[in-house]
Amino acid sequence: MATQVWAIGLVLLASFIGSSGPIFLKKFSPSLTLNIKSLWNKWFIFGFIAYVLGTILFIPALKGGDLSVLYPLVATTYLWVCLWSVKFLQEKMNVQKWLGVALIFCGVALIGLGS
Amino acid sequence: MMNKKIRSIVLVILCTLFTSVAQVLYKKASGYITLDDPWALLSNYYLLGGMALYAVGAVLLIVALRHGNVSLLYPIIATSYVWVTLLSKYIFGESIEALRWLGVFSIILGISFIAFGEKEPMPLGVEA
Repeated sequence: MATQVWAIGLVLLASFIGSSGPIFLKKFSPSLTLNIKSLWNKWFIFGFIAYVLGTILFIPALKGGDLSVLYPLVATTYLWVCLWSVKFLQEKMNVQKWLGVALIFCGVALIGLGS
Repeated sequence: MMNKKIRSIVLVILCTLFTSVAQVLYKKASGYITLDDPWALLSNYYLLGGMALYAVGAVLLIVALRHGNVSLLYPIIATSYVWVTLLSKYIFGESIEALRWLGVFSIILGISFIAFGEKEPMPLGVEA
């Protein structure tokens, strides 16, 4: 089936929202302990919501289109995460890492084509 | 004393093993989702199982993130594509197209670039 536009939009939205998840989890990570109460933490809650939203938006989209189109769209998540990490976590990107992200993106696109 | 960068990377790869199986479960779950009955989601065991495995993966990822940069560790999550491909071939007996193997190779290459391209010292003052 030709990929429905709604599925494309859904996956892009899911990836954008989901990409904030790792950033929140990184902020949360020093606070994780064996005590489950440590999860009552705004960073964890934000991260959890981001991941859940991303998943909920993504699953129905799978029914609406080709993996060859949807997979590369999901791969935009890696792009967003690296951008957010520079902006919000003061991490450093460089040419080599961006090249790596590009290779991963190409790889995901190829896997989508080959599925 | 194990290099913190390597330990974080190994933890994330372990995380991807769990999330890969979860992805397989999600794919099966999507076949059972209808819009008529949202409460049926609660008894969708594939969905629940996938979420549980994701939870374990999340804990591993969080522990890994204590000592690693997100821009290093998150792309390594792409390893899950490698696991899913291997699972598809050797557990479910699917035939894998050459394009897909090429994609797997490209991902592994990309992850290597990122791992070796990460020059930052690991954050201080955050002990596991």
